[in-house]
Amino acid sequence: MLRIRNLKCYYGRIMAVKGVSLSVKKSQIITLIGANGSGKSTLLEAICGLLPGWEGDISFEGISLKGFDPPAVVKQGISLVPEGRLIFPPISVLDNLKLGAYTMYRKRQHEAVNQTLEKILDLFPILKQRSKQAAGTLSGGEQQMLAIGRSLMSHPKLLLLDEPSMGLAPLIVEKIFEILEALRNDGITILLVEQNAQAALQVADYGYVFETGTVVLQGPASELLADQEVKRAYLGKDYGEFYDDK
Amino acid sequence: MMINDEFIHMRPEEKNQLQLERLQSTLNRAYRNVPFHKKRFKEMGIDLSQIESLSNIAQLPFMERQNISENYPYNLFAVPLRDIVRIHTVSGTTQKPTVSGYTTQDLTNWQSILARALCASDVTIHDILQITLNPGLANWGRDYKYGAESIEASVIPHTPMSIEKKLMVLRDYKTSVLITTPSSARQLANYVRKNEVNTNIFGLKTLILIGEAINKNDRRSLEQNLNVRVWTHYGLSEVPGPAIAFECDAHDGLHINEDHFLPEIVDPGTGKVLPEGQFGELVLTTLTTRAFPLIRFKTGDKAKIIKTDCSCGNKLCRIDWRGERTDDLINIDGVKVHKKQIQLSIQTLLNLPSEASKFFIKKRDDKKYIEVWIPVNDVIFSDEIKELEALIQHAENNLLKNIGIPVAIRLREKNTM
Repeated sequence: MLRIRNLKCYYGRIMAVKGVSLSVKKSQIITLIGANGSGKSTLLEAICGLLPGWEGDISFEGISLKGFDPPAVVKQGISLVPEGRLIFPPISVLDNLKLGAYTMYRKRQHEAVNQTLEKILDLFPILKQRSKQAAGTLSGGEQQMLAIGRSLMSHPKLLLLDEPSMGLAPLIVEKIFEILEALRNDGITILLVEQNAQAALQVADYGYVFETGTVVLQGPASELLADQEVKRAYLGKDYGEFYDDK
Repeated sequence: MMINDEFIHMRPEEKNQLQLERLQSTLNRAYRNVPFHKKRFKEMGIDLSQIESLSNIAQLPFMERQNISENYPYNLFAVPLRDIVRIHTVSGTTQKPTVSGYTTQDLTNWQSILARALCASDVTIHDILQITLNPGLANWGRDYKYGAESIEASVIPHTPMSIEKKLMVLRDYKTSVLITTPSSARQLANYVRKNEVNTNIFGLKTLILIGEAINKNDRRSLEQNLNVRVWTHYGLSEVPGPAIAFECDAHDGLHINEDHFLPEIVDPGTGKVLPEGQFGELVLTTLTTRAFPLIRFKTGDKAKIIKTDCSCGNKLCRIDWRGERTDDLINIDGVKVHKKQIQLSIQTLLNLPSEASKFFIKKRDDKKYIEVWIPVNDVIFSDEIKELEALIQHAENNLLKNIGIPVAIRLREKNTM
């Protein structure tokens, strides 16, 4: 569905993503795990058209995304849930959601937008309860649900999520990931960037491990969960517990 | 066990993408974790982000058997020893043995590689599978055992036994699949013919030959004499293991497990990659190996790649392998030895100048062995036959232990050498 070959992204002269290839298959959750600054979010930005000047190939359902601006990417059926949620705090939950469908309003599909809105409010009952409230008054977990709900408004085929678990209590994280699984089971494909490798690998089908802008390992999520090196580096096991000199 | 076999039916562009992803992460891991690779890549000014397609691999240096022995025992491992769950050692082709390690994941991969190869020879849960190999191929025996067990066949693991005992097991245990080397199979077939053993009472239907290639005539005569179908597998006895390529129903070349190994054919002299369809040296790069990644490993085996579709429907590309070598390694029933290695062993055992001895590959009852001629000199000579015999016995035993191949020593007068 999404195929990336030799992606290189730059911040000025610094190469942040150094020739990454990966593929996302339909109706799967693919996760990218890795430490801070390993290039995961940069890769998402490149897909979404937020980062100009990348090199390599990104193709979505056979169409190259080279030169696409963010609205064009959204129109292809890709939607991003950005890191830190980035909801609009002063305006209401309902209006936040409606903004997610900005590409459809232009086509005057108001009726369709309202139908989608109903569906999303059914999916997240808590948002229905708080639909008139200003988004800024929601709790962290609710804000994350709002951000996911907002990105679903454009009927994406591929949902990109950047650190959805950040700053959330473990129980809430579990809930958010349950939602992702439900979405996958509904046929939405998900590319999930996470530092919380344990949680991500538990819901994902396949994973890629990033290290300083490169992929060092990939495989079915169950394999990665059992992998000694992944455990050491990303699953919070104490390095001293494992390390011995070669 | 589930065998991940969507790969053998993958479309070419999907296959290419998966191989590229695996190649890139293998190279990144090797660069980070193995000083040998890091140093070489740095010295050659190789930027791994420039490896943008499978063919770009030609920019990378070759790995040879020499490199493995120089890094004896653990210096080519790409994971800490803690992660290693199995260590294999084989005599190798230099004085130091070749040591390779496997992580849990590596072993799971090998299991699926073997399972795939066995499935292609129609081995199923209903089969009774007997493994008989030379001591030098004991590691392969283990891999076959785990692979066969994973498809739930009943396995009679590798145990050294006499030919009479082998036949007894074949007959009484109703073995349906025999995994062995071509020369052991020939030996068995000849024994059966000479002693007029009735093969109809055997349950044997499949013969899987490993270690050496077999020509058409030998194959036909084995099939007739033992009343079986013959399949061959290609592997490397030192690293990484057996069944890197395997025959399918079509018996027209061997399918390479391309999800685990990236094959290239190069000119053994210049190292240049040869155009498709030409015979040259087979070079392998591992794509999934965690503990002991090989990057452009020169196998010394002569082969050519066949990329056209196979009638069996399996999309893995094939190699045409006839058992010829591109170097002076000697393949004896699947165990590879270097001439120099034998000379060195003789030298250290008998305190002889290495160039003084000569050796030949001979056959006894269709089993290959090495006959070594040693010139008698003052150091060795004793007027007591007993002492001379003891010396010979000692040397023969020692060589067998060291290189895993039967050796016969003949003392010769200098002028008859």
